[in-house]
Amino acid sequence: MTPALRVEWLKFRRSPVVMVATVLMAVLLPAMGLGIFSVASTEAVGPMAAKVQGLLIGEGWNAYLGGVAQIAAAAVFVGAGVVAAWTFGREHADRTFPSLFALAVSRSSIASAKFVILACWVFGLAIAVGLVSTVVGIAGAVGEAGGTELAAPALRLMFVVAATGVLATAAGYVASVGRGYLPAIGAIIVVVAIAQISVLFGAGGWFPFAVPGLVAITGSEAAPSLSVAQVVLVPVVALAVMWLTVRWWDRAEVA
Amino acid sequence: MNGLIESRGLVRHFGDERAVDGIDLVVDAGDVHAIVGLNGAGKTTLMRLLLGMVRPDAGVASVLGSNVVEAGPSIWSRVGYLVETPFYYPDLTTRENIAIAATLHGVDQTGLDDSVAKTLAILELDHWADRKAKTLSLGNRQRLGLATALVHEPRVLLLDEPANALDPAGVVLVRDLLREQASLGAAILVSSHHLDQLARVADAITVMHRGRVVGALDPSDSDLEQRFFDLVREADQDVPLERR
Repeated sequence: MTPALRVEWLKFRRSPVVMVATVLMAVLLPAMGLGIFSVASTEAVGPMAAKVQGLLIGEGWNAYLGGVAQIAAAAVFVGAGVVAAWTFGREHADRTFPSLFALAVSRSSIASAKFVILACWVFGLAIAVGLVSTVVGIAGAVGEAGGTELAAPALRLMFVVAATGVLATAAGYVASVGRGYLPAIGAIIVVVAIAQISVLFGAGGWFPFAVPGLVAITGSEAAPSLSVAQVVLVPVVALAVMWLTVRWWDRAEVA
Repeated sequence: MNGLIESRGLVRHFGDERAVDGIDLVVDAGDVHAIVGLNGAGKTTLMRLLLGMVRPDAGVASVLGSNVVEAGPSIWSRVGYLVETPFYYPDLTTRENIAIAATLHGVDQTGLDDSVAKTLAILELDHWADRKAKTLSLGNRQRLGLATALVHEPRVLLLDEPANALDPAGVVLVRDLLREQASLGAAILVSSHHLDQLARVADAITVMHRGRVVGALDPSDSDLEQRFFDLVREADQDVPLERR
């Protein structure tokens, strides 16, 4: 492990923000999904039940994990965005940014290490949400373990969490340029709103931040078919923002 | 350039403000060189320029014979500093914070624990070694900041108000530390508002005012304070009244 990775990993795993966000997303998302699934599966009538039934696509695992994926498309963007904003913005909030100059380890290495750790955490989170959702689903009698009925929606859920989380690391750029995590949290809210509007106007496929949400509703009548280019834009945009962030760290001055 | 710390004609503006205005300064190995000045004199900006935290509009800043704009890891691994705020992360322990600083300053992992233990002992922080930094008193956070500046045994030290928030024992500790580091061959640039403290530790004292060097003080002078204000008043006489 490089010195920058060693240092950033210690800071990351000791951060209460990271711990709280991880637990909330890994536990609350499956729980909320099961809640929606349970309400939709009962014979309940009324406006609430009708709304919830309209959210779910298909039956069994497909409906339950699809519901979790729909919630994750927005919730993970906020949760992972806050973690990314914290990871970069804390250096300004804690006033440690000036102390990252004049070191044997370059600032671009430090920024790159932050992204490597965020990416690993996002992929770990995707696996955790997938596994916890499956366990919660079995406990909630959604369906049985194993089989193709479970595999496809579970993989789609993990893709949605991973893609959303990777895109959310863009909050690190705003936190860097804005020199604090609050501007980044504002940007997260704005991007969520733009994603909703772009989907409403039928242009969501070309707005990478809306793509995971569209993947989450695959199979519904409202879901547009996504092209390969639209899906490929997701990692391209994420990598471009990472590059911009590292470049900013390389050239920045102390304010 | 021969000094371990050198500023040649350094200029830096912030908008219309000339924060540093043509500073020439050299600190040799084994010297403790103090800079004093009123708030806003340009002391911190000068240190930031010497550490590459801000880029100069004109002039050259060099450390260990290398222009700081081009300096790489081999240069920076021999530089330690405490400018403005101590370097620590509130959620990490005192020991972890010092280890982080050592790692970022290029200390080899095999010698890391020894370096951290030695620095904890020097700064008298052993008792708080495994406490989170956010629980430390202001004075002990300052000691922690000094520890992160010293853990890699630098040859060049830049310290902005190193005795900030320290109790009398801490002030004496810093004074002894500076003299010891200088005796080992380090070049030290230190700023402070406390002329009496500087008189006890500095080999040379440079007075800054409005971004410029306006004179020097003899550390053995019996009335440093009076001499300091004389230099500042003399410098102000050259400035139009509305700009003072």
